[in-house]
Parts: sequence; structure tokens; C-alpha cells
Amino acid sequence: MGYSDPSSSRDLLGNRTLFFIFICAFAVVTLLQQILYGRNYLKRGLQFSWQSGEELANWTGTFNFTDDGALKSGSDTGTRYFEFYEGPFEYNSTKCLELRQDIIEVKVLSMVKQTELFDRWKSLQMCKWEMNVTEANLFKSTLSRCCNAPAFLFTTQKNTPLGSKLKYEVDTSGIFHINQEIFRMFPKDMPYYRSQFKKCAVVGNGGILKDSRCGREIDSADFVFRCNLPPISEKYTVDVGVKTDVVTVNPSIITERFHKLEKWRKPFYEVLQVYENASVLLPAFYNTRNTDVSIRVKYVLDDFESQQAVYYFHPQYLINVSRYWLSQGVRAKRISTGLILVTAALELCEEVHLFGFWAFPMNPSGIFITHHYYDNVKPRPGFHAMPSEIFNFLHMHSKGILRVHTGTCSCC
Amino acid sequence: MTKQNSPLGKNLWFDGEFLHSFTIDNATYSLFPQATPFQLPLKKCSVVGNGGILKKSGCGRQIDQADFVMRCNLPPLSSEYSKDVGSKTQLVTANPSIIEKRFQNLLWSRKTFVDSVKVYNHSYIYMPAFSMKTGTEPSLRVYYTLEDFGANQTVLFANPNFLRDIGKFWKSKGIHAKRLSTGLFLVSAALGLCEEVTIYGFWPFSVDLHGRFISHHYYDNVLPDSGFHAMPEEFLQLWFLHKNGVLRMQLEQCEPLLQSST
Repeated sequence: MGYSDPSSSRDLLGNRTLFFIFICAFAVVTLLQQILYGRNYLKRGLQFSWQSGEELANWTGTFNFTDDGALKSGSDTGTRYFEFYEGPFEYNSTKCLELRQDIIEVKVLSMVKQTELFDRWKSLQMCKWEMNVTEANLFKSTLSRCCNAPAFLFTTQKNTPLGSKLKYEVDTSGIFHINQEIFRMFPKDMPYYRSQFKKCAVVGNGGILKDSRCGREIDSADFVFRCNLPPISEKYTVDVGVKTDVVTVNPSIITERFHKLEKWRKPFYEVLQVYENASVLLPAFYNTRNTDVSIRVKYVLDDFESQQAVYYFHPQYLINVSRYWLSQGVRAKRISTGLILVTAALELCEEVHLFGFWAFPMNPSGIFITHHYYDNVKPRPGFHAMPSEIFNFLHMHSKGILRVHTGTCSCC
Repeated sequence: MTKQNSPLGKNLWFDGEFLHSFTIDNATYSLFPQATPFQLPLKKCSVVGNGGILKKSGCGRQIDQADFVMRCNLPPLSSEYSKDVGSKTQLVTANPSIIEKRFQNLLWSRKTFVDSVKVYNHSYIYMPAFSMKTGTEPSLRVYYTLEDFGANQTVLFANPNFLRDIGKFWKSKGIHAKRLSTGLFLVSAALGLCEEVTIYGFWPFSVDLHGRFISHHYYDNVLPDSGFHAMPEEFLQLWFLHKNGVLRMQLEQCEPLLQSST
């Protein structure tokens, strides 16, 4: 048959066959993607529809599950009791070990319902937190191998020599040539060294901070990181404190609120002045658009004779940090500034405390909170994977690597 | 440009470009003063060009004696020149091209600019912001910069209609060039604003009246691109005005130095 009809054998590599091969290849690639990027895609899709929306689209799709969450915590009297129980259990008591284990055994965020996770987290609050030195040191040594913040957090004259070519983090084709002008702006060497600070506070901007009265506790830290020019005016001081040692600025804020610093510059300078002597940290080499605005920040501060230092994230550090967290299951277009700062803080400080890191629409007790402590502007969906980041923090809290504060502070 | 003559939403045509217009929006409108800020009419005015003839002229004192001194294109006024060109300034023009060349369009560091205009004290900086499309942004930036630093200088923007009318007027008198020089614009403006106008440093030739070679500017000898301005023709027109007694043109050395040098 094959010999009698030569046209059918020719079709082996003809249009139809090629088309079929393409479809097969596409199917295989899609399948691989599913496996690589969504291990529990199927489970999630079937059982917990709230989760799929949550992890990818941040806070959209909240209304599928929120009323459920509020109901649950309202009716669950067992956990309610613990809320007023002021941490009487010692860190090493069996009860606490169990409670911590409850959280650690949640391997992926979608394994349990969000309300269940909240309940476990809430129960854990009655345990005192202590740093687990072995766990913490293990984690820190992992970080020092992958990321090495004490040497590579900022671009410095040491790690970015004159004439070298700096690769952008996302614009892979973009290369920045370090010329004299830029080189001059870099610090000689990293201003911080490993475990320099005893107690650090990383302050996120989550709505959970509102009415937390954690200001004094934050201010008591030796070193305070803040993200994205948050307001720290008098109105917020009780909840968020004022001490700031490093504040990050997202170039998009400069572009939107300060016209890329091409027009007036004083308003921007005045905003920075609020943080007194805090260093300003910018992702100048994240993509090509960020560079000019970020460099301009340095000029602004120099022009106004400010004492504040300006530092730029080293793009390689950011790549390494993203890569590390990707391996830990944080899948997003970009990890949040908060996560970067926490990662850096873990290497620069002995003890790291997190405030305002809670990326859910309600607090652990199921009461709705605003997105930020100062406003309720929702972010672009699908950019950061906040819940997944927070989930990692909760894990690390349970392991004793860092401490996540989500309740009100007892002092004052 | 003032709030009075350029109301919000008015459409204006760039005078140095063909078929380009812009609309005054809220942000730009807020930069204009309510009305012309001078006490009119001004009495004695000095218009100081940057010609090399001013060098060793000793005209500084005479220039400063005027009530209102106008200068072109942010000229240097350091002490080494003050004997020849004076130190007083009420109005100084600044071309956007200078902002671009000398101050990188004020996109990076701005302090050098603010420091460099400090010599002009409480003067107005007159900018042809709406002559060329590319000049608008740098000119506005001059305004933002000086405001940010709380500087003493005030920025005024040239009205493109005024500049175009002056251009047309001189074209009818026979000056054919791509564009009039700032000096001639300034002289024209001074004649409208002042009762008595004396002009200094307007001499576009390479030798002075006594046949001595002079530099192009009193501060340097950088020659301009040819074919843009028609300086000799402009000079001729100014010379006619001098002859007719409309203004006074100072070409010789002023008295004091003449005595000291002889």
C-alpha cells in the first residue's frame, strides 16, 4: 500500500505531520510548566479555589473566601480563648513544640485552608518566641553561600570596579558601563558587616500595623529597615515608630509622584528628610528605566547638602536572592522589597523582627484590615507573591530563625 | 509671558519653529507672573552685549550707573571683568542651548547652575522657553531649580508672539538671518521699556575702530556657527539708530580707563 501511494509516505514530514508534532511539543511544554511552576495545580484547582486566585493575583478574588474566614474564627471559641492568654508557655514546652510543628508541617500554602493556617498561627501566639541559634545559623550560612549581603548587597567601589559592566537584573540585554561619574557615587566598601547589629526590625507596610502600638518596640531595635518611603508622620508613630536606618525607594514612586525629579526636587528632598539620617536604598540596576531616576536621587541629596547616604542594590545580589526564594517556592514576577530586606537583615543582624508583614485581607483573628497601614490602595495583581512570602516567614518564625509580629505590642 | 497675556488654555505657536504649537496648561500657567514685573517706564538702561570690544574698555562703572542693566546669555561677571562690564544686573537672558551644554539640561546635578547664577543677584532670568520645542523643558527646569533652592533670581519666559513680531519688524528692515541675535531682541525690548538706552559690547567685527584685533567675546574667542545670525546687518541697523539718536552706542573706551592707560 505504501509503495502504491507515494504521496501518503511523503506526508510523514508533510504539513499535517509537522502540525501534529507541534501540537505535541506544545502540550509537553505546557505539561512541564504545570509540573515545574505549579506542583499542586490540580489539587488547588479542585479543592481550594480561593488559593489559586490568591497566590497569583495577590488580593483579587478575595471575596470567595473571606466571609468563610470571618465566620470560622467567630464561632471557634477554642481559639478565641487563647487570644487573651498572654504567652504563658515557655518556648521549649511540649505544647509549644506541637504548635510550632503544626505550622512547619504545612509544607505548601495550599495544603490547608487559610483559616486553618490562621488558627494555627494564632494558637502559636501564646508561646514565647526564642531564637533557635542552630536553625538560625544554618539558615544564615545558606544565605551567605547564595547571596552574601555583607559583600554584595550594595554596589560598592570594591565589588563594582571602574570600567566594569554591570548587568541589569531583568533587562538581561541591558548592560551598564561603570564610568567615573557613577563610580564616584558608590561607597568604598559595604558599610555594614556580618551580624553587625544585635536586633533589627524590618518594617513592612501591611495594614496589620494599624493600631498595633508597636512603635516603641520598633524604635528599640538597633537597626530599622523600612520599605518604599512609608509615611512615619506623627499620626502613625505609635504604630510604626520613627527610627529609620535604611529606607528603600521604588523608582516608580519617583516617576509617578516626583516627575522623575525632572521638575521640582525639593518636595522629594523634604520627604527624604523625614527619615533624618537614614540611608536611601534604590534598585538602580533593576531595569534600564530605573537607573537615571535613581542616580538623580544622589544628585538631589548632594545638591541640598544632605548627610543621607545613597546606596544601590547590586543586581547580582537581587538575582541571587530571587533565585534562592524561587527554590523555596516563592514564585512571582518579582520578590517584594520586604523579602529582599529581610534576607539582607538575616545576614547583617543577629536577631530579626518583622513588623507589618501580613499580606492577607484580614488579620489572624479574621478581622478585615487595610492593605497598607496608611492607605488601602491595592497593588497590581500578579506581580508579587505576597502570601507565599508571608508563609515562608511564618515557617521561619516557627523554626526560630526570625520573629514575625502580627499582634499588638504589649509595651506602652 | 504673564498670566494676563497668556490665559489658561491659550494656544501659542513656537516662534522659532515651523508649525508647532502648544497649549498653556495648568502646570505651565502657574509659573507665570501676574503681570510684567517692571516699574514702567524704566529710566536709564544699559544693554550689554558680549563683544570682545568690551575688553579693556573700562566701561564697568558707566554700565552700572544705569537704572536697569540687561545682559545676554549668562555672561561671566567675575571680578576680573567687572572693570570692563560692570557687576550690576537686572535682567539676563539665558538660552536653553546653554542650559543644555553647560548644565546637562539640569537633569543631574543642579547646584553648579544655582551657584553660577548667584552673580546676577536679584535679577530676572529671561528665557525664550517657547521658541523651540526642545527649549521648553530646560527652560521650565530653570524655574523649578531656582524655586527649589529658594534663589534670588526670578525666571521670566519670553512671549513667542513678541519675539515673532520683532523678527518680522527687523526682517522688513533688511535683516535676513535664520534668527535674530539675543542682543537685538534685548535692544528692541529695551527701546520699548526704557527712556534712554545705551548699548555696550555690540561690535561684531574682529578689529576695533583703531584696527586692533579683538576677541569674539570679552571672555573667550569661541566663534559661533556661521549662517545662523546676521550680525553685521544687525549692527548696521543699530548704527542707524545710533545716528538717529534713538539709542547711544558705546564703541570707544569709556573715560576712566583711557586716562589711566595713557
